[in-house]
Amino acid sequence: MNNILIALITGLTTGGLSCLAVQGGLLASSLASQVELDLKNLPNTRTKGKHKKAAAIPVARRVHLARPILLFLTAKLLAYTLLGFLLGALGSVLQLSPISRGILQTAVGIFMLGTALRMLNVHPIFRVFTIEPPPSLRRWIRKLSKGSDSAATPLFLGALTVLIPCGVTQAMMALAVGTGDAVSGAAILFAFTLGASPLFFAAAYLTTRLGAALEKYFTRFVAALVLILGLISVDAGLTLMGAPFSPTNLMIRLSSPQDQTPASTGAPAATTKMGELIVNAKNTGYQPEYLQAPANQALNLIVKTQGTYSCSRAFVIPDLDINEMLPVTGSVAFEIPPQEAGKILYFSCSMGMYGGAIRFN
Amino acid sequence: MDRVTFTITDMHCPNCVMRLEGIEDDLPGVHRATASYRSQTMEVEYDEALVTVKEIASAIRDKGYEPIC
Repeated sequence: MNNILIALITGLTTGGLSCLAVQGGLLASSLASQVELDLKNLPNTRTKGKHKKAAAIPVARRVHLARPILLFLTAKLLAYTLLGFLLGALGSVLQLSPISRGILQTAVGIFMLGTALRMLNVHPIFRVFTIEPPPSLRRWIRKLSKGSDSAATPLFLGALTVLIPCGVTQAMMALAVGTGDAVSGAAILFAFTLGASPLFFAAAYLTTRLGAALEKYFTRFVAALVLILGLISVDAGLTLMGAPFSPTNLMIRLSSPQDQTPASTGAPAATTKMGELIVNAKNTGYQPEYLQAPANQALNLIVKTQGTYSCSRAFVIPDLDINEMLPVTGSVAFEIPPQEAGKILYFSCSMGMYGGAIRFN
Repeated sequence: MDRVTFTITDMHCPNCVMRLEGIEDDLPGVHRATASYRSQTMEVEYDEALVTVKEIASAIRDKGYEPIC
């Protein structure tokens, strides 16, 4: 859910401009033929001076230009949703375990970081983080964009934008793969493309040159956003792998006193009776995030939910290969085998966004 | 058919590639234009009887890029 919201906000804030800068050429080409046709078909209204015609032209153009833009955006939305579905399905095929998913998510994050650094022109080496369609495909798209003005052209060109995704879109595509689920992948790209549509429409409608002009000013902003998303993704991937050095796991450890007894730390009050630990999976994460437990004895970890709809429901303990979808409301017990003193067992949601740890003393 | 390679260091996004390759349609005599964002170059195959390197460079400049031959 969080990823879908992030995708929607990314689309709303930066996606439209970024996409327009990359894909605007296709739209501009199809609009150009529409404008030519409008001018050609314009009725001869020059009966009472030039002012009447001057007023008639913009109205005719407005009506006719809105249609191909809408068709273009509709096709783009459908094509990207399908692409998200396929990418999510690809991610699910690749997903073998929480750890493999963590590796994928980390790779996605690295791609995002590379994309951001490329956009910021930090070093030419970051240009490798680009998807360039082959020359023959580019040529075909270009020829096609100069085609007729029928509804089929903007529809087809809109769908073809999947072949020339902008940097932010590529980052969202990577995120879709990282979900490891076809429906979630489709939802992410649907949300992103939908979010990007109003700005894309407005900018394209006002002038097709606006995208290029604004891109100059917004590139750094877009890159900064992708950079943040990349860092979040890398952190999520590492957390999902149970890596002790992931920023989330480091924060959990640093913010929790290690040498105090369960009773004095407050958090480990989750231990209710001998051999039993309780963690609440809430919509905003796990509570407590940090628990202490006796070493060398088997434990029952009870994870409770109450109206929980966030990804914290998808509970993962990478080291024990536990990957369980919890009920919206209820509790699920997990057997924890005896652990050595000093061992820290990390748990997280399946997206690696929320985490926690159990320290054995 | 002759061939010339330009270095175009102000390609700042992959879309520039398609924009630049448009000279293929704009300039008679240009048989094929293939740009690369990664290498920041564009290779042009042209008919020297119909177009000169200077005219090709000028067409690139018209698109807002500075070619180095």
